[in-house]
Amino acid sequence: MDTMLKRRQFLRVTALAGGGLLVACGGGSSSSPSPTPPDSSNPDSAPGNGGDPAETFAVGEFLRISSDNSIRVLVGASEIGQGALTAIPMIVAEELDADWSRVTSAHSPVAAQFDNPYFGALQFTVASAATRGYFAAQRRAGAAVRHMLIAAAAERWNVEPSTLRTEKSFVIDDANQRSASYGDLAEAAAAQNVPINPPLKDPANYTIIGSTRQRLDAVRKTNGSEIYGMDVDIPGMLTAVIARPPRFFGQPQSVNSNAALAIPGVLEVFTIPSGVAVIANDFWSAEQGRKALEVSWNEALAGRTDSAQTRSNYQASLNLPGVPVRSDGAVLLAQAAASDVLSADYFFPFMAHAAMEPLNVTVDYTGSAAEIWTGSQSQTIDRLFAASILGLLPEQINFHTMTSGGGFGRRGNPLSDYVRDACHVAKTLQQPVKVIWTREDDMKGGYYRPAASVRVSAALDNNGTITAWTHRAVTQDVTSSLYFEEQLDTLAEMELPPLGELNDLETGMPYAIDNVHMDAHLTLIPQMPSLWMRSVNKFSDVFAQETFIDEIAHRYSRDPYHYRREMLGNNPRLLAVLDGVAQAANWGNPPAGRSQGIALIAHWQSYIAQVVEVSVTGDRELKVHRVVSAIDCGTAVNPDLVVAQVESGVIFALSSVLFGEIELRDGVVQQSNFDDYPVLRMHQTPQIDTVLMPSGDNPGGVGEIGVPAVGPALANAIFAATGEQIRELPLKNLNFVIA
Amino acid sequence: MISLQVNGDEHTVDVPDTKPLLWVLREDLKLTGSKYGCGQALCGACTVHLDGQPTRACVVPVSAAAGHRIDTIEAVDQQRIGALVQQAWQALNVPQCGYCQSGQIMAATALLTSNPSPSDRDIDEAMSGNICRCGTYPRIRKAIHKIASEQL
Ligand code: FES
Ligand code: FES
Repeated sequence: MDTMLKRRQFLRVTALAGGGLLVACGGGSSSSPSPTPPDSSNPDSAPGNGGDPAETFAVGEFLRISSDNSIRVLVGASEIGQGALTAIPMIVAEELDADWSRVTSAHSPVAAQFDNPYFGALQFTVASAATRGYFAAQRRAGAAVRHMLIAAAAERWNVEPSTLRTEKSFVIDDANQRSASYGDLAEAAAAQNVPINPPLKDPANYTIIGSTRQRLDAVRKTNGSEIYGMDVDIPGMLTAVIARPPRFFGQPQSVNSNAALAIPGVLEVFTIPSGVAVIANDFWSAEQGRKALEVSWNEALAGRTDSAQTRSNYQASLNLPGVPVRSDGAVLLAQAAASDVLSADYFFPFMAHAAMEPLNVTVDYTGSAAEIWTGSQSQTIDRLFAASILGLLPEQINFHTMTSGGGFGRRGNPLSDYVRDACHVAKTLQQPVKVIWTREDDMKGGYYRPAASVRVSAALDNNGTITAWTHRAVTQDVTSSLYFEEQLDTLAEMELPPLGELNDLETGMPYAIDNVHMDAHLTLIPQMPSLWMRSVNKFSDVFAQETFIDEIAHRYSRDPYHYRREMLGNNPRLLAVLDGVAQAANWGNPPAGRSQGIALIAHWQSYIAQVVEVSVTGDRELKVHRVVSAIDCGTAVNPDLVVAQVESGVIFALSSVLFGEIELRDGVVQQSNFDDYPVLRMHQTPQIDTVLMPSGDNPGGVGEIGVPAVGPALANAIFAATGEQIRELPLKNLNFVIA
Repeated sequence: MISLQVNGDEHTVDVPDTKPLLWVLREDLKLTGSKYGCGQALCGACTVHLDGQPTRACVVPVSAAAGHRIDTIEAVDQQRIGALVQQAWQALNVPQCGYCQSGQIMAATALLTSNPSPSDRDIDEAMSGNICRCGTYPRIRKAIHKIASEQL
């Protein structure tokens, strides 16, 4: 957080022409050019809109207090449904003592001062890191501006600043019964010194953080006016779809475009590195043109990944030692002394993110500058790739982060696949163009959650105490492709994100077991594009760990809740949520005809335990009746948004556990749309109850924590009902009928 | 030339007969509130009202929509129940990414218009064609019940 402190020292406050105040934070790092003040004669010129590129890079509006006392906060994290455009302004508003009813927000431009401190030099909305990453810096910025507003009022009234207080965007002088609005004081505040370490509030005095607030985008998202990337419309814009090879990384060999060009509205057909672009006046013509296209593909270098083959390869690798990622005590000795050693193998398929808004990018490239509009979780890297393809400096690209119709990791691809495609199209066309992916393109387009095999084992003494634990994962390393791409040069200048948080190594097994060995095989399959997906490898690793715990508990006639409890003595936060969920779900007393399962995980600085209630009939009709969660995310900035994220995570997990599977046969993806890649629907959705148990620590991530324990809790409930051990997903492949 | 009656206004568009209504609304009439999610009547993101009936605009050729009353999310607030649905959605923080919500709101408005006190089963039947990848189903159900019990 040292960088953050440094960065805040660059906080710049400027008076706006016509009143008001503009807070900018310039100089993303010590090597950046020194910040220039924003053009105060034109308060509406958002940074990034034209102008000198160097200035655009160095200066960015962050917070604007207008003379009408309204406040606008620009947010560097991407709104992907999680509520970033509401929660992050709440943090600033808290320390600023702002009138929340007058606060609005918007996406920031791409610029260093909006980087997520969690990742260093990146705007990157992954790893459940938006709120927890920006929290400290946003508090400091809000507190600094509040301090300056008080100083301005003290000067005006000629009193000591310590005699003044603030409330709802007013500075109040109780002794003399007067007050002034922030809007009124803003211009004078701009002349005050910026405090470097402003005192922060005692959390006990929070009035905004910790209170449920309506989302700032609620109205726009209920009347059709929110503009997503898919809705971008600029003058002269054409529409493109791209014919892609049936196997990943095939190359177009010969193209017959006569029939396509004969379709009214189709204007042009040309090849780009990843396929053949069909350009038309509108989507429907482009799509008809693509259907009429005849392409033969060179598949010499194309991917031939086959799901069944992957599974047997991974199974074989489970017998070989992997790269150690955690080693405590002496596992071999403990195993030799054990009265019993049990083990189990698991397999998990490829899965598609299938966000509701299919991928799309609009590019307006003129040869010397460009604008890009797209829903992105990774705008800093996207802009770098765009610059390298378009032959521009990153600062010459005005990148508009659009509200995303879901992300789940797919819009945070460090290889920027879909932005690169669109830039290749725009470079050839030199005319504004929107590249639209159909649902089928999106489903077949790769960058899936990688398939995985896991083997866990436990050594036990006579009492059923686990004396040694091993965990071996075999999967594709979703970060390895970073190092294999030709574009390495583009990335070389950048700090890569802390890969340990993002990659596929499971080290978080939370139980008090003396001897632990965890290792992993991270296979490299460059022709099989894989990527992180909501809850990353925790989805598979925690599934194996938490179902295996139940098998052991059952074998020794122990209650799965109490068995876990006894191994969590050193982990009070996990213990608290475990007890909390057991109580909320009335553990041990399910309604007649139902069975319960329990599971837990701590990660992303958050803690959750979940209970799933199911019934299974004789003919394998499986109904999920209820999911209860108890979560400790430290500080819940907006408690209702935390609950919403847990509900969202539960439903996302159920889709994956029940149905989620992308199958490849000889390199060809078999799924195409929501008919053969089903996701959970209303009638399959259980009652979902969520208990918040915030410990008051710094905020933890909540976007993913609701996902990983649902699968094992569900499998444990099936195990309790039927004695059947679930060792692979999705459940639809195990002849369950999902009711 | 095809004439369409959308949100009470007459429009004439020069497009192929087979172009789906969804893309005519989005591209030709610039009404982008109705969303593309699947193009195959599988997800409900494109739901509009055709003569008051919830309809998947992505599979309706524009020629088949001519002569019918078309209502979209942009004007649903002009229906009393549509406005109630929007308000309940806002009050309960229903939307997350929001991309499916135009379709959800059009489907819920049609449900509550034809059935002012829907059971859970009625909600399942009316709403299961609308996918929400963000998982807002529990809040949608709650919002529908809230409107039915408090306002209808
Ligand atoms: S876009 Fe029409 S139902 Fe999915
Ligand atoms: S709110 Fe995101 S898909 Fe429904």
